Amino acid sequence: MKDLKHLIYFENLLQEANNELVAKAVEDGEIALGYNCYYIPEVLLNLPGCFSSRLRAPRCQSADIATYYMTNRNCPYVRSILERAIEGGYNYLSALFGAEGCAAMERMEEHFFLLNPVKHDNFFVTIIDPPMKGDKTSLDYYKQQLQLKVLDAMHDKLGVDTSDAALREAVARFNELCDVMTEIGNFRKLENPPITGYEFHVMQLVSEVCPHNLILPYLKETLEELKTREPEPSFPFRARVVIAGSEIDDPEFTKLIEMCGAMVVADRYCFGSFPGRERIEIAEGETAFDAICRHYQHWNQCARFMSGDKIDQRHTEVKRLVDEFGADGVIYESMKFCEFWSYEKVLASHVLTNEMGVPCCTIEKEYALGSVGQLRTRFQAFVESLEIKKLQAKEASR
Amino acid sequence: MKNPITAFIDKKLQRFDPIWRAENGKGGQRDRYYDKTGIAKHREWRGVHDTMADYLAWLNNLKSMGLMVAKAPLPVIKGIWEYRWMGSYLGTFAFIDRLFEGFRGPELKIAHLNMHAIVQSLTKKIALVLANDARLGGGPLTEKMVPMDEVLPPLFMCGFPNLIPIPLQTLPEFIICDIDQQLEPYYIDIAESFGLAADVCSRCSAETGVTFNDDFPIIGKALLSTNMPCNASEATSMFQRRRIGLPDFPVTLAMIHNEPGAHPYSTQILRDAIKFIEEEYGEKYDWDALFERAKQMNEQNTIELEKWDIFKTEYSALCGIAETLYRLYSWASVNGQEDYFTKVDRKVIKIMRRCYEKKHKPFGGKTRHRAFLWGPSAVYYTDFPTWVQNCWGINIVLNMDSTMGHNMISTEDPEQAIKDLALFSEKGVMRHHAVGGWDNVNAVWDWAKNFNCDMVLMNDNVACKGMNGVHAMMEEQARDLGFYFIFIEHDLEDCRTVSRRDMRNIVNNYMSVVVGEEPLDPTLVDFDDSEAW
Amino acid sequence: MKKKLGSILVKLLLVLLGAFAATFTIYMFNLENKLIYYVIRPFLNKHYDSQKRDRRIV
Repeated sequence: MKDLKHLIYFENLLQEANNELVAKAVEDGEIALGYNCYYIPEVLLNLPGCFSSRLRAPRCQSADIATYYMTNRNCPYVRSILERAIEGGYNYLSALFGAEGCAAMERMEEHFFLLNPVKHDNFFVTIIDPPMKGDKTSLDYYKQQLQLKVLDAMHDKLGVDTSDAALREAVARFNELCDVMTEIGNFRKLENPPITGYEFHVMQLVSEVCPHNLILPYLKETLEELKTREPEPSFPFRARVVIAGSEIDDPEFTKLIEMCGAMVVADRYCFGSFPGRERIEIAEGETAFDAICRHYQHWNQCARFMSGDKIDQRHTEVKRLVDEFGADGVIYESMKFCEFWSYEKVLASHVLTNEMGVPCCTIEKEYALGSVGQLRTRFQAFVESLEIKKLQAKEASR
Repeated sequence: MKNPITAFIDKKLQRFDPIWRAENGKGGQRDRYYDKTGIAKHREWRGVHDTMADYLAWLNNLKSMGLMVAKAPLPVIKGIWEYRWMGSYLGTFAFIDRLFEGFRGPELKIAHLNMHAIVQSLTKKIALVLANDARLGGGPLTEKMVPMDEVLPPLFMCGFPNLIPIPLQTLPEFIICDIDQQLEPYYIDIAESFGLAADVCSRCSAETGVTFNDDFPIIGKALLSTNMPCNASEATSMFQRRRIGLPDFPVTLAMIHNEPGAHPYSTQILRDAIKFIEEEYGEKYDWDALFERAKQMNEQNTIELEKWDIFKTEYSALCGIAETLYRLYSWASVNGQEDYFTKVDRKVIKIMRRCYEKKHKPFGGKTRHRAFLWGPSAVYYTDFPTWVQNCWGINIVLNMDSTMGHNMISTEDPEQAIKDLALFSEKGVMRHHAVGGWDNVNAVWDWAKNFNCDMVLMNDNVACKGMNGVHAMMEEQARDLGFYFIFIEHDLEDCRTVSRRDMRNIVNNYMSVVVGEEPLDPTLVDFDDSEAW
Repeated sequence: MKKKLGSILVKLLLVLLGAFAATFTIYMFNLENKLIYYVIRPFLNKHYDSQKRDRRIV
């Protein structure tokens, strides 16, 4: 396929947290607000005058100082983020909105006020206690936490307009971005898509780490380009897979899978578009804030949820993606030392394989893409097994 | 005033007393043991009076076990045959011996009072569960039992006087790991054989293994799971709910529980849980029944607070594991449900007051350091506090889990009572200070200061992501505030990762190299108990 | 009558003394733990290891 016009530009934007567009927005007086987790609604951090910055630590080779603080027995994602903060990589942030998504995440976010690594006047941190169930009691608590620790904090400390009108405006702009990304992502449903999983991953990431108003024109232009982009003469991959799991903010990981012969057709992980790029619908008579909270509680697929309905939703959602995107299998990923996904990948791969008939492969990885050789072997073997299954199915149907 | 006859005998037989032997360079506690096994050639000679006290306590515990078998002979035998974990309970006597090694006088008396409370309660519970375990044939109370996650405080369930809350994991996983360090690795291996990562918390991994191996008793009509205390515990519930196959309600109390906004939420969660049980079991919540039990809990907590005042002095006859294990069991498992514990508390506080008035110093006044034990302790090394006292003279004054919910519960107003219960329940085992934010864990220094400690022993569960996340900050705080501070690495329920011996070596190195002290009993410094229960 | 009562008391005392001697010997020489550790637990472990359990994820 012909190269996408902005792909290299997008790739370059992912080389630094404080990239060209982030720097420009800050220079223009916009307030940069950091977050790590889907539990913090991205849309709230994009109220007029602000922009969200989902924290990554690109090209993090070692996390020695963070390891001193948090030991080498802790999640490499949180250690890398802390390391980058200590290195001064997030000095553009005015605030960090944290979530007790897991113990490691919370401890990392606490270091942002214990060590004060972010050198920005009046920088502050709040940490919400997010819900673990899909019921009304949990929704009420979620609302209370977001009101107190996100909206009120933004209003009181940064002077941001958090009125219903401002929220509706933010939702409208957020939906515009989501529509563009969804349309781009939907190309992956085609039998021979004009986009690779890697390219989509890059675009999804820039949409999360760059100011929305600055990145949107590029994404729109790319969407138009994709509409006329000629795919390869025949589907160049041997299989189609969905990736499900925790933090994957390195597109090289997607590239590795695709180099092993499996196109990544859907991205159901933290930093992915499922969830992340669904439109927020405000119901009749509902406040924008209530709609946002309801939306994020409903779509959240975090392995932290422990009520039966949400656990089942995690599995049916992956099955939906498998069906809609025509995937042959699922790769379940977890970060090393991740308690939640260590458990979820055992249960989910069992449910998907034995109860839903979807082949699964489970892997564990570091934050920085290491042990590539081992992973490559795993992926190649999985792709081969998917191919054999397809052949067997074909034979059986004859 | 000592009896002259027993004084004479004690004098004649003192060469058999391991404390005297250690003091006189003739040996010590460890001489009595067969290598590796943890099995003693003979029990400790503590002098006539204390040996008889220990012997009578042994008989008393034997009686409780006999009663357990007499109550449900067939189910108990079937249970031993069916469940691997039941076999491990046979190590109880050796376990009690380990715990109270070197205890004398009022320390020993209190320790046995506390321990017997646990033994009589636990044996009754085992008999009750096995007699109604559907796997073994069931019983009349099978459907009156409510299996609950063991770290969810059951006091609020006392409003259902016709139901019996049973902490599900306590019998096959938690308390049995205290007794037999060799058991849980078996279950951990099963969990890992199904793909569970080896770096998750071993307690939850063991629970998962029990689930996969179909080793939970089958009781009840609906299940109460919980998010307490932490991430892995939440995650393991996913398997339990599906494998056990009962309708379940996760009692997800606030994680960041030290903020005012958390309590209304936790209160509502308890209300939702009560409604769930009402619907599943067809029972009506009875506030008067709750108030009755809350009175017991309040009295126990009132006594506990008085105990704390005595702990702050050097004249506390209750200390170390006798305090830690009792508080853990009486709070987490009993939680106001059994009057026996209130009676024991009344007796113990009387002895403690008397000892305080007499300025009685425990362990013959040989305590060199007063330590606060912080962080979740190694379940497979319950007698660690006993060892640090006997070997290095470090008295564990209080431990983190003893600070669990000690607010009073209203016994008149249901609205206030449920709010009090929420606050009380949020501060459960391994949670009050280990979870919910920096301030909770950092509170150790105030606790240590208030209890006049010069040392903090920080349990360092190698798989606890939350506590690992504050590693350096704690170390820096200790340095700044001038406390002796030791990270005690352990793997909670997996004795293979960090053995008891490894744990001892960490203390040995610190005490000999950093503090520069000599051990009280050299036979305890380095020994092999890898094959012990 | 007095003699009979005396003999019952002596017998009771002997039984109690015997029970004390037996239990105290077991206690002091840790006999019950030795029996459990070296005989009963190895036997039970053999049995547990040969059990067929319904081992599965869910």
